[in-house]
Amino acid sequence: MSVYITSTGCFLPGPPINCEQVENVLGAVNGQASFLRVQIQKANQIEPRHYAIDENQQTTHSNVEMATNAAEQCLDRAFVARENIGMLAVASTQGDHPAPGMASMVQAELELPTIEIISTHGICSSSTMALKAAWNSLRLEEHESALVVSSELASRLLKKQRYEAATESTFAEKKIDFNTEFLRWMLSDGAGALLLQNKPSPKGLSLRIDWMKGFSHAHAFPTCMSVGSSGRIGETKTWQDYDSYAEAERKGALLLRQDVRLLDNIVRMGVDGYLRLVEEGINKPNEVDHFLCHYSSHHFKNKILEMLEAAGVAIPQERWWTNLYTRGNTGAASMFIMIDEFMRSSDVQIKEGDRILCFVPESGRFNTTYFHLTAVSA
Amino acid sequence: MSDSEIAISDGPKSGGVENKEIVSLNPHAQVCLQQLLRVWLGFERDLSTVPLIRRIDLGTYTVEDHLCFLRNLRQQVIEGSRWITRTASSFDSEHSEIRSAIIQHAMDEHKDYELIEKDYIATGGSIEDIQDMSRNIGSEALHGFLMYRSSRPNPIDLLGAMWIIEGLGEKMATSWAERIQELTGLNDDSTRFMRYHGHNDGDHMQQFYDMLEEVCLTQESVELIVKTAKVVARLYRLQLEEIEYEIR
Repeated sequence: MSVYITSTGCFLPGPPINCEQVENVLGAVNGQASFLRVQIQKANQIEPRHYAIDENQQTTHSNVEMATNAAEQCLDRAFVARENIGMLAVASTQGDHPAPGMASMVQAELELPTIEIISTHGICSSSTMALKAAWNSLRLEEHESALVVSSELASRLLKKQRYEAATESTFAEKKIDFNTEFLRWMLSDGAGALLLQNKPSPKGLSLRIDWMKGFSHAHAFPTCMSVGSSGRIGETKTWQDYDSYAEAERKGALLLRQDVRLLDNIVRMGVDGYLRLVEEGINKPNEVDHFLCHYSSHHFKNKILEMLEAAGVAIPQERWWTNLYTRGNTGAASMFIMIDEFMRSSDVQIKEGDRILCFVPESGRFNTTYFHLTAVSA
Repeated sequence: MSDSEIAISDGPKSGGVENKEIVSLNPHAQVCLQQLLRVWLGFERDLSTVPLIRRIDLGTYTVEDHLCFLRNLRQQVIEGSRWITRTASSFDSEHSEIRSAIIQHAMDEHKDYELIEKDYIATGGSIEDIQDMSRNIGSEALHGFLMYRSSRPNPIDLLGAMWIIEGLGEKMATSWAERIQELTGLNDDSTRFMRYHGHNDGDHMQQFYDMLEEVCLTQESVELIVKTAKVVARLYRLQLEEIEYEIR
């Protein structure tokens, strides 16, 4: 049973925010401009990005609202009645509520009657997990259509109040705490949605899902990107082990961190998975017409390209397509936002039969995911 | 860029940023390089599970760990120049180019163990302790395998061994040396071997690509080189795992 992406949608909250304005939105911690902002922004080369908080760090859109808006756009463009959707899969790093699962909340907001749901939890690759679950359900002929939504509201973790409250954390002690501040200038908010069906859309191009693969290396590496612990060497406590949430926050256990020294491993494991799929004959780089790669920063694009070139399996740069630089790094939502714009963008001509390779790596604890699409018409 | 052209630079773990050069590789050498890259990436990942190396990642590596690391490394470096010279002597006159390259390589490194001894003393160890250290179980296995393979006629598969060991030299320099100093408060005097070795290995990688182009001409040679790379990767990791037994 072939499965097709027949419609897409996206939602980016608020106006585009350029590099210089970012600190006005997230807030200057203790009134001090960051020493690191310019350096990190220069490396990632992201220009405008969007936030679901305003300049007073008040939430303008909840994560569920963003997911719902992207899903509504996707459904408005679809040739299928929403009552006929059999499954809803929702991915996010963190829903508005720790419990229940975000899919329940999005289903309610969308008023989708009695359907099967799944919430996937992770970071960037949670979107691929949700897509794969939906794809498999259709392949098993359990449903004829499934809505897959991925939404990310990172700015609530990145606003100045979070850092100001962490008075007994590494961030408060060090003059510059790169690991704790790094993601502040990387991530932003948004949502994307894909509709899967067991037949192509009657009009326009659909994207057939040919294969999906994932390789996680958590068994080998320490945690690289996380929320929930203080980031101190040897600390095993996680946020709910503290006597109060206030204490967890003071100690910095609620701050988002990236162990920057470990980051190169995600590039290496990404290339390893890519080469593995070449070796298995699944990935054929010279047949790929468009490469949609979720790299979090321009810095990593070059590293990936260099390694693929060394192995002689690079996809030429002119076949790479991304909207990272104009829509921001929206974590789990990035790939769906990318696919949505890719399908509508005037700067790329997609023809029937075009082959598209998508790559979503996740640095959290080193999960790399890949899927392959072919443009088809009914 | 065509399939037979590759961009190379300073090490197996990256296509490189500096001194990028385009070289042509024959199709077998190209496939071999792809597979070697995967062996390397898997080796590098699995090194992260070795307790001593994991402590570098987790930030709990100590001066005592460093002494132990150097004590165990010295034997492997001494034996390293032996299997490399043996490899050179096992090539016949039809492989004189590769023989010259390997002899030069051995010349460059055959006294590297003296650097390790200096690092050991600078770290607070005594020369007697490091000189009295015998090969650990992993070093025995690694050395035994390399001497066996290098004694065979025209042992081209040892390119696979060089790939792993040279790659590790660069990893020590770029990923470990500075981090070890940061964690332990030791200074440059304690990581000379690690840093020097990585710097020196840049030229060796260029030679490596030249040798691969010259000897990797059949599917059979691809398989031989890749298999030896896998065995060396596994035995090198065993050698690092065995360091832990000494610590206990």
